[in-house]
Amino acid sequence: MSAAPMLEIKGLSVHAGGKALVRDVDLRVAAGECLVVMGESGSGKSLLAHAIMGDLASGLSARGDVNVAGHRIDAQTQGERRAFWGKRIALLPQEPWLSLDPLMRVDSQIAETHALVAGRDWADAKARAAKDLGRLGLSASARQLPFRLSGGMAQRVAIAATMAAEAGLLIADEPTKGLDADACAGVAASLRAQMELGRAVVVVTHDIGLARALGGRIAVMRNADMVETGETREVLTAPRHDYTKMFVAADPAKWPRPVAHVGGGPVLRGEKLAAARGANLLFENIDLALARGEIACVQGPSGGGKTTLGAVLLGLLPPRQGVVRRADGVATWRYQKLYQDPVAAFAPQASLRTALDDVVRRHGGTWSAVEAILTRLSVPLDLLDRPPSQVSGGELQRVAIARTLIVDPVFLFADEPTSRLDPPIQRATMALLNELAVERGLAMLLVTHDPGLAAAMSARPPLRIG
Amino acid sequence: MNRTSSFRAIGFALLAAVAIFALLGPALIDADPLRQNLRAALRPPSAEFLFGTDHLGRSMLARLASAARLSLGLAAAAVLLAGVIGTALGAIAAASRGRALDRALSGLCDATMALPGLLTVVLIAALAPGKLWPLYAGLVATQWVEFFRPVRALAAGRLAAPDVEAARLFGFGGWHVFRRHLLPELTPLVGMLAAFGVASTVLAVSTLSFVGIGLRPPTPELGSMMVELLPHYADAPLQLLAPAMLLFATVLGLRLAAGGDEA
Repeated sequence: MSAAPMLEIKGLSVHAGGKALVRDVDLRVAAGECLVVMGESGSGKSLLAHAIMGDLASGLSARGDVNVAGHRIDAQTQGERRAFWGKRIALLPQEPWLSLDPLMRVDSQIAETHALVAGRDWADAKARAAKDLGRLGLSASARQLPFRLSGGMAQRVAIAATMAAEAGLLIADEPTKGLDADACAGVAASLRAQMELGRAVVVVTHDIGLARALGGRIAVMRNADMVETGETREVLTAPRHDYTKMFVAADPAKWPRPVAHVGGGPVLRGEKLAAARGANLLFENIDLALARGEIACVQGPSGGGKTTLGAVLLGLLPPRQGVVRRADGVATWRYQKLYQDPVAAFAPQASLRTALDDVVRRHGGTWSAVEAILTRLSVPLDLLDRPPSQVSGGELQRVAIARTLIVDPVFLFADEPTSRLDPPIQRATMALLNELAVERGLAMLLVTHDPGLAAAMSARPPLRIG
Repeated sequence: MNRTSSFRAIGFALLAAVAIFALLGPALIDADPLRQNLRAALRPPSAEFLFGTDHLGRSMLARLASAARLSLGLAAAAVLLAGVIGTALGAIAAASRGRALDRALSGLCDATMALPGLLTVVLIAALAPGKLWPLYAGLVATQWVEFFRPVRALAAGRLAAPDVEAARLFGFGGWHVFRRHLLPELTPLVGMLAAFGVASTVLAVSTLSFVGIGLRPPTPELGSMMVELLPHYADAPLQLLAPAMLLFATVLGLRLAAGGDEA
């Protein structure tokens, strides 16, 4: 590396009480370069970003040296870096459409940073904002309010607003979280554009596709330690550390190919289905049929009607046109659904034990059968006394799967069940669903925005909606 | 302790003081609130009569305690029934959102709100002047809408949430959804509405008897005590002030206790 480092970190640690959450990290990012920090939730990767920013939550303490564009700072003095925010370091928050002002037009939000952080007069700030939007291909949306933007557009606006004061270092925390594949590509392009402008970019993510698209260098974190660093392309093709190997292998593109499904009685058939939300037609002429044990995938942009298709198939919403036929003599509740956000699928104030017990009582099962299912799904039983909000996403999704297994389902509509999970946990969850499909003859319709996942789960070509 | 919670603590303390006075007062005070003694009229406070006597020589302390019990008791009973009715109808309207039943209930609610609340109470109270039950019925008939509207709005949002959809897919019925998914979320809202409801009902009862509708003398009631003592305010200001302060403390206590929960 010839260029002077924009960011250099030596011996950075973050502690909560006596527990190390980030341990002794050394990093270097030069201007115009990119560093991807990758790891699962709880590995300390987000804390590392906040320790560099200097906005760690109270109760956390940092140690070590942080050097931003030649200014050496002691990591202990967290709040003092406030003077750097916007001008030297900029943070792109998670899910930025939530941090845009909902009542302010897009160009004004960007102009505000030009005026208030960079200290330009308002007319100049407005002109620069218009130019920024032109460069992002968003000129047509300049006078829109944020709720009219798609997730990908909002993300690009947030990047423009964040970078308006021309900070040399951009830290992006999970910039592709909740976005579909097209929007992810747009975000990667915007971040690369920042690198070409000579800025150093640090991206915290668990999205392997984003890391591959950005290139640069990668640092893999696990349990507070940085386990492997190197050129992104090399690390992703030939990982050395066992954990990196597991992480990379969890990329759906690396999974074993699915076996084409053979035979089984029909479970569900939809003929010439159409559905609309208000006057807006979401889809029409959809035909699909699923046999026992068969897995099919649904793909399409967000808001395109994938979830609505599920509601129609599950009988929650009457179709505008067409018919849904189910297998004869199968109880209605054996057609089940998995949700994208498992926390939202449980009553918020009841413990998981109560949630499962309710289903057992309703359908006359026994608790020992439930315990057998939970053990089969490797759910620790002591988890059950907690409310859903205090259980990790991967574990809660397994409890949700266990809950559907109590009623011995024949069909499962899985609405992006792993999009909020880390790759290794996504892999484990999907492998489990695959096994259940074979074991129990469970038919499954999997909604995903990840083409790689669709290809890894089903030999059938995916159904496109929207 | 932050500001909101310390205000709430003050509210609960005030309310507890009034409630203890109302509940235990009539038993502990050795004086009949109805016994007149014209030779002892408008006495200032003394060891025998802690708050003095009124224009008919009755013990102010005994009358205040009995009036507080009547006001709080009547208001709490009216709000309890109105709360049960309003919450149940609100949940039913939310569950049948947009259909005929929802429109009928919402129309009934709008019609109730179009009439000034006190007027409704006056109209129903006129069925049997001076009796307690028509007053109670009138208060319930005006108070239920205060529960119906917010409960319907909150429940409509909750019923569209994924956890309720999941419960329906498992074959659970309306009662289970209400008990497991709605009620825990509604409880804080309904509790706050009830505290505000009791406060406004206490005020409504006193306002009505102040203008001579509802409860009749000699029944001790804060509003009628004030109107009876008004002509004597120059000779006995404390006797007029006492029921006014008790009413003030009750309403303030309820409003502070209702508080803005975590707002």
